[in-house]
Amino acid sequence: MDGKVILQKTSPQPSRSRFSLGRLLLTVFLLVIVIADLFPLIWLIDFSLLKSGDFFGSDILIWPDPPMWKNYKDAFINAHIPLLFFNSVFVCLISILVIIACSILLGYAFTRMEWRGRKTFFSLFMVGMIIPIYSTLLPNFIIFNKFGIIDTYWALILPYIAFSIPLSMFIMTGFMETLPRAVEEAAVIDGLNVWGIIFRIILPMLKPAIATVTVIAFLNCWNEFIMAVTYIDSDTFRTLPFAVVYFMGQYSSNYGAQFAVLSIIALPTVIIYLLFTDQITEGITSGAVKG
Amino acid sequence: MHTILGSRRTVFLLVTPGFLLFACMIFVPITASFYYSLTDWNGTGEYSLTWLENYKALMSDEVFWKALINSLLLGIGLVFLQHPIAILMAMIVTYTGRWEKFMRVVIFIPAIISTFVTSKLWVSVFNTQFGMLNNALTMAGLESWRQDWLGDSTLAILCIIFVCMWQGFGYAFLLYYAGVKGVPNDLYEAAYLDGASKFQVNFHVVLPLLTPVLRINLVLAVISAFKQMETVYLMTGGGPANSTEFLSTYLYSKAFREALYGYGNAISILLVVICLIITVFMNRVIRRDVGEF
Repeated sequence: MDGKVILQKTSPQPSRSRFSLGRLLLTVFLLVIVIADLFPLIWLIDFSLLKSGDFFGSDILIWPDPPMWKNYKDAFINAHIPLLFFNSVFVCLISILVIIACSILLGYAFTRMEWRGRKTFFSLFMVGMIIPIYSTLLPNFIIFNKFGIIDTYWALILPYIAFSIPLSMFIMTGFMETLPRAVEEAAVIDGLNVWGIIFRIILPMLKPAIATVTVIAFLNCWNEFIMAVTYIDSDTFRTLPFAVVYFMGQYSSNYGAQFAVLSIIALPTVIIYLLFTDQITEGITSGAVKG
Repeated sequence: MHTILGSRRTVFLLVTPGFLLFACMIFVPITASFYYSLTDWNGTGEYSLTWLENYKALMSDEVFWKALINSLLLGIGLVFLQHPIAILMAMIVTYTGRWEKFMRVVIFIPAIISTFVTSKLWVSVFNTQFGMLNNALTMAGLESWRQDWLGDSTLAILCIIFVCMWQGFGYAFLLYYAGVKGVPNDLYEAAYLDGASKFQVNFHVVLPLLTPVLRINLVLAVISAFKQMETVYLMTGGGPANSTEFLSTYLYSKAFREALYGYGNAISILLVVICLIITVFMNRVIRRDVGEF
């Protein structure tokens, strides 16, 4: 099923504007849901602008008066935000590039090429989706130690790529199946080889799928935390989540700055999400609806 | 065409980079894990093969069973609370008219924010002194209900289950929403023409059509309950007194706090085995149910 078509389809029935008790109850219910989903975000931003002394008041939300932008400044200086931010972006960027390349090649092999073992390999990738990521935490820690890549960017980039490949490949395969093959057949007659077809013909048509894969891989890599803490030991390679750990140790009383750091971690994902809502929806639903 | 698409060399070049990375990061470590799980390695120096000793010890390890029960509780919560609400929401949201897109966007927001951030947030909410929950109870005049939410072993696991349901709700909702939107419009129209109420349409027409989606989602939900780690690790770290331990947090503390590599690897292997068994088992059971439709 094509996610985009689903999302743009109209609702089953035009809602009536007639007032009724049922409608009111429904509205209240929906409002509760909206508040439950949005409140933490509002609260996070609110508290990131408070003075540390204001935290122990009895109010649920405290109007920041005046807003303490200084918390963000403290966070930037004391928690090495620029370095951590750069590390996070760098790790994500490299991972995403490799994920896209690998999933396009795999997608082509699974949808167009004719080879024995195609089904077997496809199921192997599917098994990879079931295996819990954190069962590899300890063995990979041991292996990375042996090969000396513990505490380097590779210790994060390699597993991030590996764990994003199954879903990304799945999205690519699904999308490529919908692409017409006539153009490719014509290209072969014109003397193009497989690589020519992939780079000159398929690649331009894949843009929507690439966008979906990119956004989902970004969210996964950016938000990953356990590996980042386990595999990285030196300040030089740490990624963003670690910023809060800095504050929990040295500046444990500076709650405002802690919340500022949390906001800095959350904000990029929220912005990306708002910009690419449809791509994210499509990627997530395409996987499960096809089964 | 066939000679080009049948070229083994090309297939090899297309599949190798992705598969190699994937296998080296997933299948190789799991194989290594299995080997180490048969040893008494403590992270440094010599170790010897003890075969199934670690597994035997695990079988009589109370915390291990506690972790399994906690995963099961979370799974039950997801299947019987989170998913029914998600299905209901997916149906309701389609009637919200111009708010539909807004609702869709808002409901998914908790799922895209880093678990790290949301866990820290909820820890603050449950905080004994300045936590929002206790503050709200005081404001509502329910002073006596104030609790040390994460410090009490029964409450802590309930709090964790709640936060996990909250965080994953967006995913569940989105999948069902896509399913509901996939129901052809003529089916709605036909049902309304026959005089069905909205309630009847949704429960007798839409719900049965959701079964394929439901099947996959329930399997995914139960597995995710066993895979759970980040929220627990960040909120309670398995405490107080191991009451909120999950398999992955237990494996983490055994491996990285106590340096019991052999034991930790045995937990890793069981975690993989359990997830695979559940997938196969649930697929069997649920498939049979759908067949009776």
